[in-house]
Amino acid sequence: MKLLEHQGKALFQKYGIKIPNGELLKNAQAEMSLDFPVVLKSQVLSGERKKKKGIIIVEKHEDFRQNLEKLFLQEIDGSLPESILVEERIDFEKELYVSLSYDTDYRKPVLALSLVGGTGIEGATLVPIDVMKGLPDDMAQESLSKAHIPSTFQLSETIQNLWKMFQAEQALLVEINPLFELKDGTFVAGDAKVVLDDNVVDPQLRPFIDLGGDIAILASGGGASMLNLDILMREGGRPANYVEYSGNPPASVVEELTLKVLSRPNLKGCWVIGGTANFTDVAETMLGFVQGLRKLQSKPAYPIVIRRDGPKRKEGFEMLEKAKQEEGYDFHLYGPETSMAESAKIIVRLAYGNPH
Amino acid sequence: MAILIDSSTKALVQGITGKEGSRAAREMIAYGTNVLAGVTPGKGGQTTEEGVPVFNTVKEALAQFPDINTSLIVVPAQFVLGAAMESMEAKIPLVNIITEKVPISHVAKMIAFARTNNITLVGPSSIGILSPKKSKVGSIGSAGLADIIFSPGHVGVVSKSGGMTAELSRILTEAGIGQSTVVGIGGDLLIGYTFEDAGLAFEQDPETKAIVIFGEVGGTYEECFAKAMGEGRIRKPVVALIAGQFSEQLPQDTVLGHAGAIVTKGRGSAASKIDALRKAGALIANTPEEIPILLKPFLL
Repeated sequence: MKLLEHQGKALFQKYGIKIPNGELLKNAQAEMSLDFPVVLKSQVLSGERKKKKGIIIVEKHEDFRQNLEKLFLQEIDGSLPESILVEERIDFEKELYVSLSYDTDYRKPVLALSLVGGTGIEGATLVPIDVMKGLPDDMAQESLSKAHIPSTFQLSETIQNLWKMFQAEQALLVEINPLFELKDGTFVAGDAKVVLDDNVVDPQLRPFIDLGGDIAILASGGGASMLNLDILMREGGRPANYVEYSGNPPASVVEELTLKVLSRPNLKGCWVIGGTANFTDVAETMLGFVQGLRKLQSKPAYPIVIRRDGPKRKEGFEMLEKAKQEEGYDFHLYGPETSMAESAKIIVRLAYGNPH
Repeated sequence: MAILIDSSTKALVQGITGKEGSRAAREMIAYGTNVLAGVTPGKGGQTTEEGVPVFNTVKEALAQFPDINTSLIVVPAQFVLGAAMESMEAKIPLVNIITEKVPISHVAKMIAFARTNNITLVGPSSIGILSPKKSKVGSIGSAGLADIIFSPGHVGVVSKSGGMTAELSRILTEAGIGQSTVVGIGGDLLIGYTFEDAGLAFEQDPETKAIVIFGEVGGTYEECFAKAMGEGRIRKPVVALIAGQFSEQLPQDTVLGHAGAIVTKGRGSAASKIDALRKAGALIANTPEEIPILLKPFLL
């Protein structure tokens, strides 16, 4: 779960990392008490707010209201800000880059450091961290020296505090970019990018991505679902969504996903796709699918191609056949004798018609 | 021969009285795996329907069954770290974690401990491991499917996706191509056993003549495997199928099916993986059905 800048900065403060004086404004009429110049920062999740006009420096009081109103109406990557963070502008000597994340080459947390703030992790020096030892002062000092950054007590302390936060909050990423160094040698976090572990904060989360097309997809298995989207697009299909259920979910979960996926307008087909399951109860998940279909506002008239294999496929397919008879659904059922790729061809042909 | 597990495997199941744990144990036994004991804290002294004794701790299980050499972990996500540490501290050399959604900070700790103590940790989010006709550990090939879709032979299969282990093995078996061992390594950001680890093990396994890998967008494990090929540490023929090319059209940082599928620093994309593997000499399949066709010349 990605946090907004002000949420990330609240965590920084909790762990003793300094942040600029600031206030969170919930609407364009809100008052604030900071001294000018100030920086207005749109609270959206996009990473490139500067480029996308999400950050405005306001020099004097007269310009404040107008710029605040403007920023509240400025869409960034399709979303309006949740709020505007207003902060005193920082007079800094230097800008650094500091982050902690997990690296798949080392399979460890890595501290990324760079003397060039404002850029990204590219070009930063990566220092792997032994989770048994953590990041005590001597390791922090050593890491800074590896990155050719002059080590000071304050900087080492900031990095150690960031490590404490990374561990305690079970974050996947904590990034300060830029980290301002002030004249007096203190360090202030100019920005905050924090990603928390969904396995901790929201284990029930299922990824759902709107892909804008007209073939609805209900896929099982993380790997198979991605492979099948690749194959469908290669065959000329336009996927409406990305979603998948893994493991062995109860019918209710599949029912809910079915409703979500098939509730969008202008669908031309539905593709229920999976490989040979190891332990997913196919009868149970297909029951969930049919329950979802029955709850839809309008009965789907478009073709529905189902390709599935695994435990209790026979029972599941008998139930599907019955629902087809009873409800008149345009089901096309396939087992392992038809490849996933072949079933992609079939749904594309049925959904879009033969191009003769 | 095979890798990781074979007929000498003697398994412990941690979480044996739970719904998934008891099913996994039952199906492992049905496939012929030697399941010596189970552990569920507070349920020591019980016996499962299949006659497997249940202990409160790993230590107690080992005291009675010192031959245990593999532990399967099927406990709720928040208890995985404790369960894995228990079996690793007891020096069980192979630990396979089936549980999904384990906090990544916990996984990092388990990996660090496994490395310093020379323990093979497979998972989390692994579907399990299967060496056809010898042994299986985990949820791989349940409900009698194992006898139909897996067959003994000379191709090592390693996959992030659990579902695809079964789909690929079925396609290979139907094409008359058997498997030496099929390993589900899981698709998390951090995993205990990587494509490279599996590749190096298959390289040493005289039974394995070729390797199939199923990879996905995100992480750099496929790139590391390609590097090992490039350096000559993996020399056997490799056929790879990489999923997630469609995601190149999505905004960066979009997390897909598996937690590990985050694209970073130019590496990690499906295109980067395919490119690295192809340059290292792997053959790239576009669909599962292409895999047996690409493999056939190496198995004559």
